[in-house]
Amino acid sequence: MSAPWLVLDRVSKVYGDGTSAVVAVREVSLELQGGRFVLLMGPSGSGKTTLLMLMGCLLKPTQGRLFLFEREISALDERTLPPLRRRYIGFVFQTFNLFPALTAVENVELALNLKGINGREARRRALTLLARVGLSERLHFLPRDLSGGEKQRVALARALAGDPPIILADEPTGMLDSRTGRQIVELLADLAHTEGRLVFMVTHDPRVRDLADDVLFMEDGSIVARESTGDLREVVSGKEGR
Amino acid sequence: MVSLARKNLFHDRVRFVVALLGIQFAVVLMTLQIGFFLKFMTNASVLIDHIEADIWITAKNLKNFDFGLPFSEQKLYEARRVPGVLWAERFLMGFSYWKMPDGGQETIQVIGFNPETRIGAPWDIVEGNLDDVKYFTQIFIDEADRERLGFPRVGDEVEIIGQRARIAGITRGAKSFVGSPFVFTSFKNALKLSFIPPGQTVYILVKVAPGFSIEEVKEHLARTLTGVDVYTKREFSWKSRRYWLLVTGAGIALLSTALLGLLVGTVIVGQTIYASTMEHLKEFGTLKAIGASNADLYRIIIAQALIMATVGYATGMLLARAFLNVARRAGLEAYLPLEVLAGIFGLTLLMCIGASILSIYKVTKLDPALVFRS
Repeated sequence: MSAPWLVLDRVSKVYGDGTSAVVAVREVSLELQGGRFVLLMGPSGSGKTTLLMLMGCLLKPTQGRLFLFEREISALDERTLPPLRRRYIGFVFQTFNLFPALTAVENVELALNLKGINGREARRRALTLLARVGLSERLHFLPRDLSGGEKQRVALARALAGDPPIILADEPTGMLDSRTGRQIVELLADLAHTEGRLVFMVTHDPRVRDLADDVLFMEDGSIVARESTGDLREVVSGKEGR
Repeated sequence: MVSLARKNLFHDRVRFVVALLGIQFAVVLMTLQIGFFLKFMTNASVLIDHIEADIWITAKNLKNFDFGLPFSEQKLYEARRVPGVLWAERFLMGFSYWKMPDGGQETIQVIGFNPETRIGAPWDIVEGNLDDVKYFTQIFIDEADRERLGFPRVGDEVEIIGQRARIAGITRGAKSFVGSPFVFTSFKNALKLSFIPPGQTVYILVKVAPGFSIEEVKEHLARTLTGVDVYTKREFSWKSRRYWLLVTGAGIALLSTALLGLLVGTVIVGQTIYASTMEHLKEFGTLKAIGASNADLYRIIIAQALIMATVGYATGMLLARAFLNVARRAGLEAYLPLEVLAGIFGLTLLMCIGASILSIYKVTKLDPALVFRS
């Protein structure tokens, strides 16, 4: 078995200090491999998004260590982290976070530009990525003229710009109807299963659990339960059977 | 790279137009005030700068060119004997009165020069022959002053302090700083048309011979001639400008207005860029999340500032030109050489970039968690 891509070793994140300190993530340890579609579930305020930000090098842990492809990243400064994010990580957000002044294809091109791909090559790749997420027809539409599902597909294409091995998604179906949400999650699962990426998704939606390889449950900053593919399917069928 | 800066700016047209108005205001105000100020400064020493003399000898403690006082013509002959003096000439400037066609009077500045050597003569003749001033009370006036003097034409006879004079020609660009029209004539005629007594001069103009330094000859003249002051051309030009600039405060007032324009423009542009940054803060956070460095974000903000500066400068200059045309028709001239226009563009760029600093600070401190908030 190859080395894990992303390792969290007793990682904690505390906001504030003294009496006002809030522990958002408490001693979480994880080893995540490529080719897996991992869901993180839990109630609001359980620390899911903070954990996602730690994994995405957007926050530094207060304690513990983080390794990205065997390189420790927990102590790196803000000048070193952006290139790592560009190379290894793609983000998908609940609210899409598209640039309203840019068309669908330009939103993807901008992410490619940040990764050093410019001009015609950037346009070619952006078109390919948008085709990959099933959005070849509305390339030149501004975000305001796209549906929620279409916006999330653009965001997904943008996350794939530069071909990052890891995709971190924060409730990407939160603003979508169930059918569209399911389509987006299927796309994410496909990125893990057919392209070998690590896709880590925070969600509240239990209906997509059947697509995941692993499901983590978080409460009060800690991972309290973990289910692999087989267990998950049993749980789902067990509920259905009742 | 996809121009997020440009697209963001043009996406929010109302905000962009507001920012442009601020920049245009600053550009127009700076251009007009700096232009008027430079013209003001140039006029304050217009004759000194155009006359080919290296050294000016004046009455003791003279404040500036326009307040010239007479002293003995004897000094001319003493000056000519000083080693290093190639030539020395009398030059007269005296206030006088021009009788208007309606019976009123207009204050004028009579300029008397030597018509043989033409040292101190007007430099741009629009009409007439300068040799004519050798003859009895023939004068030249400037085209800019014709209206003030009742629209006289070449060949017309006029009256100056009871003396008859005939207009022999028209000059251009010889506009007096204090507003009293210049009347050019021979030194001899000028004595008749002003209140300067015979045997007196107001200035002595000196040219330094090749092989001598101006400073050296100036020092020698200052030691030799008593009861007068001796200045190099540059010193006397600056003394005259300095008087109007600092002593009267008139120049400072013009410069202050230009500075005010710059400050107001900076505040408006700063406020606009800051508001735009705040509105797009989540986008900046997203950029950070997808791998943009702080430097990338700074570039976007600076690019916005540069686009605004360029468009604001170009459109502001068009407005300034329209205002200057109106001012010119009202007799108010501005002096705006190319390097000054380039300087104003530089100031506009600095103003817009300076106005972005608060925004840059804001994105530097951006909390990445922002991108995950709905």
